[in-house]
Amino acid sequence: MSLNNKKNLSGWLDMSQSLSGVILAVFLWTHLVLVSSILLGEDAMTFVAKTMELSFLSEDGHGYPWVVSLIAIGVGLLASIHVLVAMHKLPLSLQQQRALRQQMSVINHGDTKLWVWQAITGVGILLLLPVHLWLIGSAPETIGPAGSADRIWNQGVWMVYLPLLLCVELHAAIGIYRVAIKWGSERALNSRDRIKKIKTIVSVVFVVIGIASLLAFLPYA
Amino acid sequence: MSQGRTLTFNIFRYDPQEPGDKPKMVKYQIEEAPGMTVFIALNMLREKQDPSLQFDFVCRAGICGSCAMVINGFPTLACRTLTSKYPKAEITLMPLPGFELIGDLSVNTGKFMRELAERLKLWLHPKADEVDIHRIEAPMAPEEAAKLYELERCVECGVCVSACATKQMRDTFVGAVGMMKIARFELDSRDTRSVEDFYHVIGNQDGVFGCMTLLGCQDNCPKDLPHMQQIAYLRRKMATALV
Amino acid sequence: MKLIYTDSLVVGAGLAGLRVAIASKERGLDTVVLSLIPAKRSHSAAAQGGMQASLGNTVKGMGDDEDVHFQDTVKGSDWGCDQEVARMFAHCAPKAVRELANWGVPWTRVTKGPREVVVNAEKVTIEEAEAAHGLINARDFGGTKKWRTCYTADGTGHSLLYAVDNKAISLDIPVHERIEALSLIHDGSRCHGVVARCLITGELRAYIAKSTTIATGGYGRIYEVSTNAIICEGIGQALALETGVAKLGNMEAVQFHPTAIVPVGILTTEGCRGDGGLLRDKDGHRFMPDYEPEKKELASRDVVSRRMTEHMRKGKGVDSPYGPHLWLDITLLGRKHVETNLREVKEICENFLGIDPAKDWIPVRPTQHYSMGGIRTDATGQSPHLKGLFSVGEAACWDMHGFNRLGGNSLAETVVGGMIIGKYVADFCEQNALEIDTALVDKFVTQVRSEIDDLVEGQGSESAFDIKLEMQRIMMDYVGIFRNGLELNKAVEALQALLLRSRNIGLTCKKRHANPELVEALRVKRMLKVALTVACGAEARTESRGAHAREDFPQRNDKDWLNRTLSSWPSHDATLPALDYEQLDVMTMELPPGYRGYGINNAIAHPDTEKREQQIIDILSKLPDEADRHARQHASMPFEVPPSLQEKNERLHEKSLSNRAQLGDETK
Repeated sequence: MSLNNKKNLSGWLDMSQSLSGVILAVFLWTHLVLVSSILLGEDAMTFVAKTMELSFLSEDGHGYPWVVSLIAIGVGLLASIHVLVAMHKLPLSLQQQRALRQQMSVINHGDTKLWVWQAITGVGILLLLPVHLWLIGSAPETIGPAGSADRIWNQGVWMVYLPLLLCVELHAAIGIYRVAIKWGSERALNSRDRIKKIKTIVSVVFVVIGIASLLAFLPYA
Repeated sequence: MSQGRTLTFNIFRYDPQEPGDKPKMVKYQIEEAPGMTVFIALNMLREKQDPSLQFDFVCRAGICGSCAMVINGFPTLACRTLTSKYPKAEITLMPLPGFELIGDLSVNTGKFMRELAERLKLWLHPKADEVDIHRIEAPMAPEEAAKLYELERCVECGVCVSACATKQMRDTFVGAVGMMKIARFELDSRDTRSVEDFYHVIGNQDGVFGCMTLLGCQDNCPKDLPHMQQIAYLRRKMATALV
Repeated sequence: MKLIYTDSLVVGAGLAGLRVAIASKERGLDTVVLSLIPAKRSHSAAAQGGMQASLGNTVKGMGDDEDVHFQDTVKGSDWGCDQEVARMFAHCAPKAVRELANWGVPWTRVTKGPREVVVNAEKVTIEEAEAAHGLINARDFGGTKKWRTCYTADGTGHSLLYAVDNKAISLDIPVHERIEALSLIHDGSRCHGVVARCLITGELRAYIAKSTTIATGGYGRIYEVSTNAIICEGIGQALALETGVAKLGNMEAVQFHPTAIVPVGILTTEGCRGDGGLLRDKDGHRFMPDYEPEKKELASRDVVSRRMTEHMRKGKGVDSPYGPHLWLDITLLGRKHVETNLREVKEICENFLGIDPAKDWIPVRPTQHYSMGGIRTDATGQSPHLKGLFSVGEAACWDMHGFNRLGGNSLAETVVGGMIIGKYVADFCEQNALEIDTALVDKFVTQVRSEIDDLVEGQGSESAFDIKLEMQRIMMDYVGIFRNGLELNKAVEALQALLLRSRNIGLTCKKRHANPELVEALRVKRMLKVALTVACGAEARTESRGAHAREDFPQRNDKDWLNRTLSSWPSHDATLPALDYEQLDVMTMELPPGYRGYGINNAIAHPDTEKREQQIIDILSKLPDEADRHARQHASMPFEVPPSLQEKNERLHEKSLSNRAQLGDETK
């Protein structure tokens, strides 16, 4: 079918925003589950960290820490795409911001407020994520109970991680909720109220896991 | 039904045609009567307190869509809003945002809707130009007719447009009303337009791919139209056309 | 001053007006529509039930045709209608329904096989034919022999209006919104357009046109409470009246519906009582059996409305700040029934009354519902008195309703009348030139301008709002369901006094642009004249016919009153309309006056009736045996429609009977 290219672009942009968002969210949750292995103890986390470095493929069992750097670069790229395509939905001009503020001051609507939170947390992530990626990507070999604990608590990186945790968990859950209703599945399971409830639970659960994990590093610092 | 309350109305007042006039909120008080709606209250205010007060009502039965305004933060039809709904007896009325203001609570939704219809070609494009009106009509599946009617219940009140943050930020965005109407014609077996035809109209940033699914439309629609499903359906259809 | 020239000018953008505009535009004529509001907000949208057309697709409509529809319509009108017009209408109704299907109306369709319906409060199973599957369905309505009312769920008017307005948009017909016509430009014999005011800017414009079609709906709002939209104020009728040349027909014919909710006057369907709902008074007493032991709540609309009024006059009404009312009790039907079969009623009760009709009684009272009267036109929709002035829909007295309209015939009239008259309007525009007499235009614009000047700058002290309310109360109290000479006389005098006072209206808001008080003042002065035609017509008509019920003259008097009231406004200074009458000729009727088949049979016969009945039998018996029902019809009362609408309507089950077979049928 022949659709003109210019119009094609917005469709692709919209789809890549949803798709990159979903991949990032899945990565995020997986990542957090992996990090939370610290809750099961030092050995568990060491095992996870090593496995991530593909230790099972290397003969000496030390693995390849650059794999983590690669993942960090990959996530960084994906996040950049996500930011670029999502940007054009945000009120960039002063006039747009004024129109939005004006409307929101007159009309009280929950999902619009949620979206504003998503935009704010998005900006937060934009500022904080590069720090995180740089810290990890530049020194992948330090990931582990002691190394991470040292970074988080002794070097004060918790001041980055805690706000980042709150931002991503809100952003990802709201984002996934929106992708679900946006592309709509007609199955009964996906009634909006239900998805919305699941979204809130997911946010809360992962924030709790995240904070618990951060605290769990404390003894190793 | 509460009786004998004094209602306080905070009403947005502005006459853009009056030189020097500035937007302001004006307070009015009125004795509540049983069964009083915002329609009745506004007319009493106009007749007894301020004859210059502008607002629009036509059917006053929730059918015509003329009287949408923002009542205590929620855009809705004023004619079928009972004052007894507000336990604090305070009611703030604002005109619908996102439309040309005629004055006070009156906005030009008609002009908006006509322009939208012209832009999106919101009418049936039937198979033949001429049907024989003397012969038995072409049959249609009864389920299809019922489904079409469900989508056709839109009264063009403008609530979905005013409740849409996307529309406020992007003037050229077609809004829920535009997409719902496209969905209605897309579904109609009598319409000859193809997916490509619809794609050219809404397969873009001003259509389904610009919508952020904030659902202010669905949450405030006085006719409870299924915006979420229909817009998602169109989006999938358009995305499939693309891939 | 802005001058706008066009070929076909239409005032009013409801179904009837838009349909005429489409007919003009399709013939390549320049067309402009004026409207107080956006077209899709017009009151046509409020018609829920459906429109009558004898398609005969459903099994309960089998055997239906134009003849049956015609007879139902004439009986419904209490023989007050123009039978040729009723014929034109019945003939074209199926065409209009089929045309609308092609414009996008999602008519509810027939589903083959068995389905359960309620007939006479009993569940009955009917079996729809395989061949009818997917064809346009019809439902049952009062006063009809067959199930004939085509519908789209519970929003027929809405989907019709949207389809027709969409069609108008596709033809690029301009609708000038928020424009109010205030006077007709005419030279005493020909109408040349209107003077109109923009409700936003206050600008005065002259629209000059070959033909001017008034399609502004009814005049229900001369009553304080009406089921009509608040814009149905009879301004279209007033425009014609104020020419002093054009005449209004049967203005006293006003229909009341028994169960509109109080205070807002929104209709609750007759189905409430059909399904077993009861009417109760302030003591909770079910009073209808006291008056109508046989039919009780289910007597005809006019009868129930009359009994309810009578009961409230006895002080049995429930007092409320909005005046007395009675109760409609549907609690006995049970929650399940209310929430499934009467969903609409439930929503209205929740939204407008804040009550739950499954456990609370609904406050109701008979309420003005429809205007049978209007601008008198001939069969082509043109005023016989003012060339170039057309009228269509509820605004007109084309006269297919006579003194009582059947449910489902009003929505039908808008699109069928619009279809037929639209073609005659186009013919007129093609055959006549645009006449521009700037001095004449100037005269009318100046008149309107000085009227506005007087209101804005004058020293008047009367309030437009107060006068309007007083007028509406007079109409409610004295020109209601039940009428009598004494009260009608009181009404006429009081309205006359109000008309004088209305010449002294002053404004507190002095704006010349968007000014609701100015709009009210301009309208109330015109509405009063319309109200006077209703009151005077009712006072003069000393008989009871259809919706016009005189307590002092309870009989239908065909001998003296088989005629149409015509009112005109004699001069600018006059305070009363001039009345004259147009006789209905029994000797040309296809269906001479008789018993309607319901209501009281108390008519005083017309001397020609028997003669005409015999004449028809003679005419029919002389026809050759192969004469079908069309030939028979043509022999007894020929009628004309535009050539493109003349063809016969095709039906699923039409059997052609011989002349003899049909004759036999009738003499049985």
